[in-house]
Amino acid sequence: MALTPSGQDVGSIPELEVRNLLKRFTARSVVGPLSFAVFAGEFVSLLGPSGCGKTTTLRCIAGFETPTEGSILLTGRPIEGEPPNRRNVGLVFQNYALFPHLSIFENVAFGLRLRRVGDAELRRRVGRVLELVGLPDLAQRYPGQLSGGQQQRIAIARCIVLEPRILLLDEPLSNLDLKLRLSMRRELRELQRRLGKTAVYVTHDQGEALALSDRIVVMSNGRIEQIGSPQEIYERPANAFVADFIGSSNLLDAVVVGVESDATIIRTDRGLTLRANSTAHAASDRVVAMVRPERIRLAEAGPTPADGENRLAARIKEATYLGQDLHLSLGIDSGEELAAVTQGSAAPRLAVGRPVMIAVDAADIFLLRK
Amino acid sequence: MSADAQAPRAYWAIFVLPLAVYLLAFLVAPFVNIIVLSFHTYSPTRIWTHELTLANYADLIDASFAMVLLRTLRLGLVCTAICVLFGYPLAYFLARAERRVALIGLFFLIMPLMVSAVIRTFGWLVLLGRNGLVNNVISSFGLDRLPLLYNETAVVIGLTNVFVPFMVLPLMASIERISPALEEAARNLGASWFATFRRVILPLSLPGLISGCLLVYSAAISALVVPMLMGGARVRVIGRQIYDQLLISYQWPNASAIATLLVFATTCFAFLVLARLRHSARQEPRA
Repeated sequence: MALTPSGQDVGSIPELEVRNLLKRFTARSVVGPLSFAVFAGEFVSLLGPSGCGKTTTLRCIAGFETPTEGSILLTGRPIEGEPPNRRNVGLVFQNYALFPHLSIFENVAFGLRLRRVGDAELRRRVGRVLELVGLPDLAQRYPGQLSGGQQQRIAIARCIVLEPRILLLDEPLSNLDLKLRLSMRRELRELQRRLGKTAVYVTHDQGEALALSDRIVVMSNGRIEQIGSPQEIYERPANAFVADFIGSSNLLDAVVVGVESDATIIRTDRGLTLRANSTAHAASDRVVAMVRPERIRLAEAGPTPADGENRLAARIKEATYLGQDLHLSLGIDSGEELAAVTQGSAAPRLAVGRPVMIAVDAADIFLLRK
Repeated sequence: MSADAQAPRAYWAIFVLPLAVYLLAFLVAPFVNIIVLSFHTYSPTRIWTHELTLANYADLIDASFAMVLLRTLRLGLVCTAICVLFGYPLAYFLARAERRVALIGLFFLIMPLMVSAVIRTFGWLVLLGRNGLVNNVISSFGLDRLPLLYNETAVVIGLTNVFVPFMVLPLMASIERISPALEEAARNLGASWFATFRRVILPLSLPGLISGCLLVYSAAISALVVPMLMGGARVRVIGRQIYDQLLISYQWPNASAIATLLVFATTCFAFLVLARLRHSARQEPRA
């Protein structure tokens, strides 16, 4: 039986499926066509720079944008023709969108009252979700009296009290300060796991996407660049865009000059020859070589390099001390410049201008299609 | 308190002073004069004497005056209601429209205010008269001509036309401040279009709606030119009553009493509504 990375049976019907979704705003501004599926209990992020179409996609799912083409299926049932109030998908807004004229209790009870839930059950359910988000004492307050983090939790409570099929979150943490963002991130993930709720999360913050998601859909210019688990996206980016967008990386334009049984030899445009563990390319292919800064090691000026290791002579051009880490900018003799990260404690030995020997394993050089 | 905190207060007075002096000299002083006059005795030869009396107010307890008063208040209510009916959808549309469309809409909205009341009213006479455009169209279909002038309907048509902007402008300002995300949140939580309006848009636009109603109502019950020209002799309103007493009968004390009553009633009404509004604003603090 085939399983998705998060352990779902591929044969089962996805909780949410977006099929060839296309939204055309103007002739030049088009989102899609894009397709992806979200399985029950999964936390999937739509990640990309602003204007990449991630929010449009979310708004199509919620029903606030009408797709030009394609369909959106909720457990196999097409919903793209239904008005937003009939879809039963919960949306958490970036600015929370709490009703300022209603108390916290009435904000959370809003959807229940529309569904004509009886008074006793309404009180019980509102009480329970306020408990769940850890704010049982604020029921009588008004949104204007709450902090950003508290408003965020109420916005989530207001959605989950209705037990929606899926939870859509539109950059819900972006208005919070850094410290709160980190703790809310952890809390959000914990809550989603506890409820077993399927979630689609829109963000431009790669750290958030990596920390929260089971799978990430990386988007740019209205298209999907890659879908995969955080590890896959980070360690095996599908192309130069993903490599550049997720984490920091050194990207070098190069051409394949030799193909061996277990490795490819490339030469960068500035003439640096490197060995990469890849067999997917033929001679004279144009490629982009990617190396993560933390994979560049400072080698002991020793005798012979280890097997499959690239050794390069470099000079420290810049060193930024950040406490735990030391960020280095290394000038290679061929003229390339590489970013590297090492431990902050190494700072005294690594003054600007010092010559160093660096080592990069052939396994840490990825060759990407241009 | 520090000198820094005091400084803005001094500036504040400079900004407000010119208008305050102007209002004091040309609004408050004459109005105090009217109130004082309303307690003096009428004299056919000298207009008024120094003898103090309550007779001018006692005269107002009178069936024909009560009719005029009721008619005026009724016209005000009908006119306000129609302005809400026409004005609310327009205000909503303009508040949510893109800037360029909103500006064009606003221009057309306030255009009636750029034409003098007399000219505008004569325009209506041409349209609504017995041989006017509207009746000519009606009769060309073989139907009876309608009495569209010199009745309350005519006055309501004339007043609504001028006062719709007074309803739309404050409402629009109020609706503009309601984030569209709130509407989407309501829809997402299961509210139909109507439920969204009733539970979110309407309560949040209440301050604008109330200001609009106050403006239209107080302007409608004190109107003079439109009721006079379009309502004729049959549709006598308070404004007309004051005008006649003042300029035709020279009953200055009596006219003053009516004016005082009208201002007093309008002010009380406005205070009640605004106090209620402040009360609810305290209950619902905003971020």
